[in-house]
Amino acid sequence: MSSITLTINGQKVSAQPGQTVLKAAQAAGIDIPTLCHHPALTASGGCRVCLVEVSGQRALQPACTFPATDRMEIQTESPKVVRARKFVLELLFSERNHFCMACEMSGGCELQTLGYRYGLDHWVYPTYTQRFAVDASPPHHLMDHNRCVLCRRCVRACAELVGNHTLDLRQRGAHSMLCADMDVPLGESTCISCGTCVNVCPTGALVDKRSAFMARPKDVARVATICTQCSLGCGLNVVMHRGQVLRLESRWEAPVNGGLLCRRGRFEALQDSRPRLLEPLIKENGRSAPTSWNWALAEVARHLHHESPQQLGLLTSTRLTNEALALLHAIFVRQLRAAHRGTCDAAPPALPFTPCGKLTDIVASDFILIVEADPARDQPVASFFIKRAVDQGTRLVTVESRSTELTAFAEASFPPRDIAIAVDLVQAAAKPVVVCGAGLRKSEADLLQKTQPKARFISLVSGVNTVTAAALGLVDRIDPAACRTLFIAVADENGTLDPLAARIDRSAFVIAMASYASPLTERADLVLPMATWLERSGGFTNTDGTQLRAHAALPPSGQSRSDWDILGRLAERLGLDARAAKADLPRCDA
Amino acid sequence: MSKVLIATDWLAACAGCHMSLLDMDERILELLNHVVFTSSPVTDLKHPPESGVAVGVLTGAISNTHNIEVARRMRERCTYLVAVGDCATFGGIVAARNLVGTQAALKRAYLETESTVDGLIPDSAELGRPLETVTGVGEVVKVDIFLPGCPPRPDDFFYVFSEVLAGRIPVVLPQEHFRYD
Repeated sequence: MSSITLTINGQKVSAQPGQTVLKAAQAAGIDIPTLCHHPALTASGGCRVCLVEVSGQRALQPACTFPATDRMEIQTESPKVVRARKFVLELLFSERNHFCMACEMSGGCELQTLGYRYGLDHWVYPTYTQRFAVDASPPHHLMDHNRCVLCRRCVRACAELVGNHTLDLRQRGAHSMLCADMDVPLGESTCISCGTCVNVCPTGALVDKRSAFMARPKDVARVATICTQCSLGCGLNVVMHRGQVLRLESRWEAPVNGGLLCRRGRFEALQDSRPRLLEPLIKENGRSAPTSWNWALAEVARHLHHESPQQLGLLTSTRLTNEALALLHAIFVRQLRAAHRGTCDAAPPALPFTPCGKLTDIVASDFILIVEADPARDQPVASFFIKRAVDQGTRLVTVESRSTELTAFAEASFPPRDIAIAVDLVQAAAKPVVVCGAGLRKSEADLLQKTQPKARFISLVSGVNTVTAAALGLVDRIDPAACRTLFIAVADENGTLDPLAARIDRSAFVIAMASYASPLTERADLVLPMATWLERSGGFTNTDGTQLRAHAALPPSGQSRSDWDILGRLAERLGLDARAAKADLPRCDA
Repeated sequence: MSKVLIATDWLAACAGCHMSLLDMDERILELLNHVVFTSSPVTDLKHPPESGVAVGVLTGAISNTHNIEVARRMRERCTYLVAVGDCATFGGIVAARNLVGTQAALKRAYLETESTVDGLIPDSAELGRPLETVTGVGEVVKVDIFLPGCPPRPDDFFYVFSEVLAGRIPVVLPQEHFRYD
């Protein structure tokens, strides 16, 4: 379609038909202030801050919803507009508590910024005295109605982005209040604590408890990295203040998740209170004692060097970077030919075809088939996409042995033996997406081949960097009892590997590379302290094959080191060229 | 040219705004080439002269009947009234009382404080009576110039005085002199 031309503040601007005045202005670099508008949400035109003068229109129009048309003339800062905007702001400031000096958001608040911009140096309406309770019932965030301007950003984010529909407004006019479900405390509601509402709130009404009042927004720095809690690899920003991590927040431009995070990724990833391992430890006479990196690595190299391949085992977490996994491959597969290799996570399902779908395909689909996957539990952000799609009319069908949270959203659920019916439904759809989990059986995979190449296929693997680990042949089954020397890359695994400690042979020599102390590291004869996910950079391959890069927000604590750093040094001691190991890797440039 | 007369006074204030005013440091000497501070809470003469001043500065919120008297007296005796600080412009930290109510606040402060024995809510004809609602100065008298901030920075005071002396009234606060906190 041909573009249209409009005039904004006397400047000729070209726009696409159907674009709003706000979008057209933004594309031309013309700033129109907004408050209830958020780029990730549908425009609602509720706050009237973006009012502009449009030729031929009797009243001022909200730029965020008003469609641009050819030869339209717009004034964005005319005296009439500024007068109206100031009036709107005076009304916004006339209700609730907007005293900035006691607000967590001061300096980063969008309402405050507008107050400054339009010179609101006093209140023209009577001092507001009503006080509302603060709802601090959710585990990780709180809702302070006193700061709320009823912009509905959180309501829209909860519904449109997460598909959760917990938040809404009750009552009307001056009595309007944000509420959860049928007006129950947020902590008792259907809220899943994904924190998206906290991220879109323009004021200090929705606040991350962990970082509340810890630093002014102007004093923080951000490090862009990826979450490594599951196999999605959602992009996020680590918000830092004076070298301390304040909180994790959405990175809207992130390729995989488009800014969405789940409770684990946004909040729980920072809640780890396990004791850190800060120096290499070596067991002498049954007791662990600190040692030097030099000595520890020399001992590891000596033990690995002298072990026969049949007695040597490698057990690895999938929470390792591509670089570290490639080094493990170079050391244990190519060099030492260890007979026992495995991960703590299930191998990706064997498919007779290459899955070509991306997570973003989910929202654009008209039919979703889920086979033996529980994304709401294992990859929550993927479940947000699915719920969002269902809200928009996408049909959802599941094939599963037991019901999951998403079963309630499905129009039909079949037991595994009836998968053929579901496959027929996929073939009848126009833009189908098939999502399978790690529990997919061979017979099911074979049947699903019929959906190819039409259906976009997404395999949700368990673990984190499981795709790379599998590509490097590190995910075979392993029996720790069969190993006389066992190298375990525990990383920052949350207890999943601990039951293994009991199964390891009493006389076996165990080397553990871990961030936190655990029964497994207590059993280990040698402990190599490893940096946590916040302290290491590196590449990751997510479940749909997207290459991602993590960036360290913090330096490694104590003497701990990044996974690839430890393994690189070990490789050198074993006479390997650490750089050559990288040749095994897919390129990471995302 | 004769010097411009300035009087300052405070209402329900913490004195922080006046401290910030004094923090102009040596620029006060420069200012004194052009103005005379006739009276202020931090000088010997407390009350603005009956003969009037050009600029009256009020800090603090309207919290009791005495504050209203002081604000009205200043308004009568000055040509331009400047409300300085978050308390004088919006009610500020003093307005936190509005959220619990005046009687509850008095009870908590004078009777229920953990260290209080035989407490008594002050009640004398000499004292101003606390108002039900704390407000900014603008709700009681007409204010010509508002300078928010908790407190406004010394630079902000200097900017406003410079503008007033140059006759640029009403004063438009640029971004760098405009703070709510």
